Amino acid sequence: MKTTLTTCPWCGTGCNFYLFTDERGQLSGVEPAAGHPVSRGQLCLKGWNAHAFVAHPERLTVPLYRRQGELVPCDWNSALDLLHERLSAIAERHGPDSLMFLASAKASNEENFLLMKLARAGFGTNNIDHCARLCHSSTVFGLAETLGSGAMTNSLDCFEQTDLVLVIGSNTTEQHPLIGSRILQAKQRGADLIVIDSRTIRLARHADLHLRPRNGTDVALLCGIMRQILADGLEDRDFIAARCENFAAFETSLRDCTPERVAAITGEPEEQLVAAARRFARAEKAMIVFAMGITQHSHGVDNVRALSNLALLTGNLGRPGTGINPLRGQNNVQGACDMGALPDVYSGYQKVSDPAVRKKFAAAWGVDLPEQPGLMATHAMEAAAEGRIRGMLIMGENPLLSEANQGLIRQALQKLEFLAVIDIFPTETAQLADLVLPAACYAERDGSYTSTERRVQRGRKAIEPPGEARADWQILRALLGRCGLQADDTGPEQTMMEISTLTPSYAGISYPRLEGAGLQWPCPEAEHPGTPILHVENCSRGKARFSPVTYRPSAEVPDTDYPFLLNTGRTGVHWHTGSMTRRSHLLDREEREPYVEIHPQDAARHQLKERQPLQISSRRGSIEALARITDRVPAGQLFIPFHFVEGAANALTNNALDPESGIPEFKVCAVRLQPC
Amino acid sequence: MLKQLAEKDLLRLLERIATRRRLLTPQRQSDGSRLLLPWPGGLPELVGTPLQRKPTEIFFPQLELLMELDNSGDVRLPVPADKPVALLGLDHFDLAAIAFLDRFFLSRPTDDAYLRRRHDALLVGLSGLAGPQGATLPPAETCDLELILVPDKLLARPHAKLGEELLAGFTAADPTALRAIDRSPAERPATLLAAARLLQEDQVPEAFWEEIAARCIACGGCNFACPTCNCFGVQDRTFGNRTERSRLWDSCQLDAFMREAGGHNPLGTETLRTRRRVYHKLVADPLRWGELGCVACGRCDRACPTGIGMLALCEDLVRR
Amino acid sequence: MTIPASLYAPRPCRLLETSDLTPQEKLFRLQLADDTSLGHQPGQFIQLSLPGLTEAPISIASSPTRGPVFELGVRRAGRLTSALHQLAPGATIGIRGPFGRPFQLDALRSGPLLLIAGGCGLAPLRSLIQYCQDRPEEFGAVHILYGARSPADLMFKDDLAVWQRSDRLDCRTTVDRTPAASCYDGDTGLLPELLSRLDFDPTDCRAVLVGPPPMYRPVIAELRRLGLDGDRRIMLSLERQMRCGVGKCGHCSIEHLSCCSDGPVFWLEEVENLRGAL
Ligand SMILES: Cc1cc2nc3c(=O)[nH]c(=O)nc-3n(C[C@H](O)[C@H](O)[C@H](O)COP(=O)(O)OP(=O)(O)OC[C@H]3O[C@@H](n4cnc5c(N)ncnc54)[C@H](O)[C@@H]3O)c2cc1C
Ligand code: SF4
Ligand code: SF4
Ligand code: SF4
Ligand code: FES
Repeated sequence: MKTTLTTCPWCGTGCNFYLFTDERGQLSGVEPAAGHPVSRGQLCLKGWNAHAFVAHPERLTVPLYRRQGELVPCDWNSALDLLHERLSAIAERHGPDSLMFLASAKASNEENFLLMKLARAGFGTNNIDHCARLCHSSTVFGLAETLGSGAMTNSLDCFEQTDLVLVIGSNTTEQHPLIGSRILQAKQRGADLIVIDSRTIRLARHADLHLRPRNGTDVALLCGIMRQILADGLEDRDFIAARCENFAAFETSLRDCTPERVAAITGEPEEQLVAAARRFARAEKAMIVFAMGITQHSHGVDNVRALSNLALLTGNLGRPGTGINPLRGQNNVQGACDMGALPDVYSGYQKVSDPAVRKKFAAAWGVDLPEQPGLMATHAMEAAAEGRIRGMLIMGENPLLSEANQGLIRQALQKLEFLAVIDIFPTETAQLADLVLPAACYAERDGSYTSTERRVQRGRKAIEPPGEARADWQILRALLGRCGLQADDTGPEQTMMEISTLTPSYAGISYPRLEGAGLQWPCPEAEHPGTPILHVENCSRGKARFSPVTYRPSAEVPDTDYPFLLNTGRTGVHWHTGSMTRRSHLLDREEREPYVEIHPQDAARHQLKERQPLQISSRRGSIEALARITDRVPAGQLFIPFHFVEGAANALTNNALDPESGIPEFKVCAVRLQPC
Repeated sequence: MLKQLAEKDLLRLLERIATRRRLLTPQRQSDGSRLLLPWPGGLPELVGTPLQRKPTEIFFPQLELLMELDNSGDVRLPVPADKPVALLGLDHFDLAAIAFLDRFFLSRPTDDAYLRRRHDALLVGLSGLAGPQGATLPPAETCDLELILVPDKLLARPHAKLGEELLAGFTAADPTALRAIDRSPAERPATLLAAARLLQEDQVPEAFWEEIAARCIACGGCNFACPTCNCFGVQDRTFGNRTERSRLWDSCQLDAFMREAGGHNPLGTETLRTRRRVYHKLVADPLRWGELGCVACGRCDRACPTGIGMLALCEDLVRR
Repeated sequence: MTIPASLYAPRPCRLLETSDLTPQEKLFRLQLADDTSLGHQPGQFIQLSLPGLTEAPISIASSPTRGPVFELGVRRAGRLTSALHQLAPGATIGIRGPFGRPFQLDALRSGPLLLIAGGCGLAPLRSLIQYCQDRPEEFGAVHILYGARSPADLMFKDDLAVWQRSDRLDCRTTVDRTPAASCYDGDTGLLPELLSRLDFDPTDCRAVLVGPPPMYRPVIAELRRLGLDGDRRIMLSLERQMRCGVGKCGHCSIEHLSCCSDGPVFWLEEVENLRGAL
C-alpha cells in the first residue's frame, strides 16, 4: 500500500489528491489533499473517481500499425521508425507545412514543450496547435490585445474577498465544480451573484439576478450594460484615466446600445439589464468569471473584448477580489498554451514572427526555425480535407468527437496520407490512424501541469503503465532523437530546466520549487514567489486597452426549416468525449445515453414524452438522443452534451469560425427534431 | 494494567506488533495531513489533525476485488493476506466507526469480503493530548490496546487479551498519571442529537431540504469521506475470458444511485437525496441498529465543498 | 480462520430452453449445474450474473412445486438483460439466491385471493399462481387480474389461456388500448376499473399486487373501497435497484428497510407511510 500526491487530471481547477496503490500495484482510490490551497480536503465526483479508468481493459498496451486495413501490433522501434520516416517523407516531398501536430491539454507542460520542439525544430513547421483552439483561443487572442496576457487575471482565493461575482457562459458547478463551490460559498457569506446564461444552471438558482439572453447575443447585452453604467455615471473615472487607453472611441461605440435595442436583440427585459449594470458597477470588488459560453462563437473574441471593457470601465482589475477570470477547461490547457503548442508562439507567448525570439530558440536547439506562423487546428482540418495537410501526429486528442462538424473532420482525417495517434484508449480518432502509440496516463508518468489560476504544479507517477505503454515524453524524446536533436532519456525535470531557460514567465520555476502548492506564473526568477494577481500596477502590455466591439449575429440562426437553436456543452459527470469517464463505473452509470434537453412547452407542442428517442438534424448531420424535458433550457433551445459517440453533438454543430481566433461556433446552430 | 512507554518501549511495542501483523501507522504527508500507511520503522506521527482518510477503508476499500469469474462459470475468491493487519493511532471516532461497520457487515448474512480483511485485525486506540495543537482526545476504549498521551508521558492500557499480551513486560505506570488530563467520555454533539430528534418526529419542512439540496454539487464527498457509509456498487472488468468483479464505494447523492433501468427513480430529485443522506444516519440507522449512524467525526463537513456536511447541516436545522 | 461461504459468488446454472413471451420479454428455463433444486418460495428472486455485465435481480417465475427446473421471465431493459436475450440453450449463467422475503403463504390460505399484476409483475405472481394450481386444497377462490399496455405486451399468454380455461381459477386481463385489428377478447381499461367490476367476497379476502410503480396507489385505493381495509389484507412486491440482494449495498433501501431482504414482499401497512415507498 502506497500513496502518491498528484494533480487532478480533469478540469483546470488544479485540485491535488493522493492516489492509493494496493498490494497488486493497482490504483485503489483517491483521497483529497487537505493541506493543498485549491482542494483543501475536497474534490468533485470526477476527482474522487480519478483512479477508476486507469486499469480499464481497453487501455492501449502495444504500438499498432495499419496493415491491409487492420491495426496490428508491432515493436516500439519499428513504430517510431515508421512514424519518423513517413512524416519526413511527406515533409520532403510536399514541404514541412504539409504536416500538422496536435498537442494535448491532458499532457504535461514538458510533453507539450517537447512536441512543440519536435514540430518546429524536428520537422521545421509551425503547424502545431491543440484543443485550446476549441475552448479559449478567443480569450487568449482577446485578452492579449486588451491586457497583454490571455490568462486568468486573479486567483481562486479571490472568491473569498470579492463583493460580487458575475458568471457568464460558465456552468461552474458542473464544469469547474470546486470553483463553482467557492462561488456558492461566496454567495453564502453575503457576496452578490449575477448569472448570465440562457440555461438555468445551478448557480442561476442562487443568483441575485439571472439574465437569460438568447445564445449569441452577449456582445449586445454587455454593450447595453456598459452604456447604462456610463449613463448612470457609475464608471471608475480614476482607473480609466490612470490605467487605460482608447476610452473615447469605446464610449462613442456604445452610443447605439440603448436598453430598448438591446432588449430586442437579446430577449432580456430592459429592467434586468439596468439592474445588472447598477449592481455590477456599484460593487467595490467584482469578479468576472467566464468560459465556453463566451468563447465558442463566431464572434468569440468580441465577447471577450466586451468583458474586458466591462472590467476596465469599472476598475475591476489588478486588485484582490476582482479581475477577468476565464476558467480554463482541461487540467493543462493553460500549460499547453504556455508551452507554445500554438501556431504563432513559442513557450511563454513569444512570437515566432519575432526574429530575436527565433534566434534565441534556434541557438538553443541548434537548428534553423520556420518564420511563418502555422495553421490553427480548425484550419488544419479544412486544409487536410482539401489535401494541403498530408501527415498528422495527434497526441492525446479525439478531434473526431470534439471538433465541430464531424462529417468534415472525418473526411479530413481519412484523406491524410499518414495519421499517427498517441493515446491511452482506442478512441474514435485512433480507429482512423495508420499508427497508434500507447501512452502512459497521468498516474503513470511524472510531469507538471498549469491550472487555470496559472498555478504550475507537479503530477507524480504512482504506478507503472500497462503493457508496453510509455510516457508521452519518452515517445517524444525518441522522435526528437530520430530528427537529430538532443534525445537523451532524461526525464521531465530536465525538460523543465530547458523550459525555464527559454521562457521568461517560467524562468524561476524548477521541480524542487514546485513541491507543496506549486507556483503561479509569471515567476521570472529563482527566488520569485509567483504572481497570484496579474496587472497590479501596470498591465502586461502597459496601458489596458478599451477595444470597441459591435454586435454581429451568429452564423446560423433558427429559421423555418431548422426552428430550434442548438446549444452544446458538457455535463458534470463526463469529460469531453468520454474516453475516460465513460470507462469509470460511477461516472458512466450517471449518464449512459445521449440526451437532449428540451423545454416543456416545446415538448408539449411536439407531444414528446420523457426519454422518448428523438432525431435531431442540422444542415450538417443527424443524430439520435433521448428527450429530457426540463426548463433548464429556454423555450426554442435544445441542449446536447458532446460526450457520446452514439449521439455525437458535433455531427450537428457548425464549424463557422471566429475570424481571429479560429474557434468554431459550438454554442449556436440551427436544428430541427422529429420523434424516431 | 496501565503501562508507561518510553520512546524505546514504543518502538519495541511496534516491533512486537509487526512480527505477526502488517502494521499501519499514521504518517505525515507533504501537505501536512496524516494517513495510515505501512509502518516504515521509527516513531509514528501520533499527534495532529484526525487521520485524513477514514481508517474503515482498510476493511472496506474504495475499490475491492470480490472475485474472478471465467466464462465456464468458475469463481475464484481473492486469497486473504498472509498476515492480519494492525491499525495504530485510531481515535474514539475512528473506533466507533469501525464498531458500526463491524456490526453492519458481520451481522447475518456475514459479508465475507469484509471479514477477510477484518479478521484478527489488531486495533490500537489513541487518546489524551494527541489532538490538533495538543487538544485532548476522548478515551478510545473499543480496541485491543489504547495509547494515552499525558503531559511528558505515553501511557498504554490493554482492553483485550491481545493487548495485554503485547504490553507484557513494560513498566507499570502510576494510575494517577491519568488525572492530568480530561478523561470524560466522548458524547455526541447536542446539535446532532437535537437534529435527530426533529427528524424522528418528522418536524423538518420540505423547504429545508430543498434549500440545502440546491447547494449540493453532487461530488459524493460526504459519502466517500464518511467512515460509516457502507453503500457500494459493483463493476465487472473483462480481460479475455477472465472477469474481475469488484465492489466500489457508491454515493446516495448521485442521481443514478437508485435509478432503475426503465427510468423510475425513487431518489429522483436532489432534495430527496439530501434528505436521504441525513435521514439514513439519524433515523434509519437508529431504527435498525439502535444507534445513530453518525459518529460525529466531522469528515463530511471537511469534505463538502459547499458547507452542508452533517454537522453544519444539523446546526442549521436546529437553529431554525 | 474460518471465512463463511462467499455471499457474492454466483453458482453456475444451465440454460435449458428459451422462448419468446412478447417482443421485449423472453422466458428462460434453467437448472442448477449440480442438478439440485433452488429451494425457493414464491415471491423470491435471484441475482442473475453474466461475467462482464455484473448482476440483475430477477423474480423466479415458476413454483417450487415444479421440481428443480425453474423459470424466469425477463424484459430486455438494458445491458445485462439484452445480453441474456442473446443466449442460446446450453449456455452457463451464474445465479445467487434465492433471496428476499417470499409471499406470506400462511396468510393467504384463509380466504379468496386477488392476484393483481401489471406488466412484468406477472413473473413473480406466476410462481404463486402455479403454487395455488398445484396445491388447490390449500387455497380458496383465486382471482387473477392482469394488466398490460397492449395485447402484444401480455406476458405468459399460454399460461393465461390455461388459467382462463381452468375452473379453479378466475383469470382476467385488461389492456390500456386495443389496436383495431386484434383478436384480443379481454378487457380494455385500467386495472382499478377491472377490479371494480369483479364479483368477490371481501370478508376474508387478501390481495397480492405486483406491478410498475404508478399502478400501486390507484389499485390500493380501489381495493380499500371494495372493503379490503385493515392490516394484513394487501401484500405487495416492490422493485428497487439491487446490487447485492442481501442487505449490504444500500441501493434498495426504503427509509430504514432494505427492499431486498426485508422485502421485496411487504404488507401494505409496513411501507405505506414510508416516504418514496409507493
Ligand atoms: C426484486 C426484483 C425482481 C425483478 N424481477 C424481474 C423479472 O422477473 N423480470 C424482469 O424482466 N425484470 C425484473 N426486475 C427488473 C430487472 O432487475 C431490471 O430490468 C434489470 O436489472 C435491468 O438490468 P440491465 O443490466 O439489463 O439494465 P441496465 O440499465 O443496463 O442496468 C443498470 C444497472 O442498474 C440496475 N438496475 C436497473 N434497473 C433496475 C431495476 N428495475 N431493478 C433493479 N435493478 C435495476 C441493475 O443492477 C444494472 O446493473 C426485477 C427487479 C427487482 C428489484
Ligand atoms: S474540480 Fe476539477 S480539478 Fe478539482 S477534483 Fe474536480 S475535476 Fe479535478
Ligand atoms: S460526521 Fe459525517 S463523516 Fe463523520 S460519521 Fe457523521 S456523517 Fe459520517
Ligand atoms: S459533499 Fe456536499 S456537495 Fe458533495 S455530495 Fe455531499 S452534500 Fe453534496
Ligand atoms: S440489494 Fe443490496 S441492500 Fe438490497
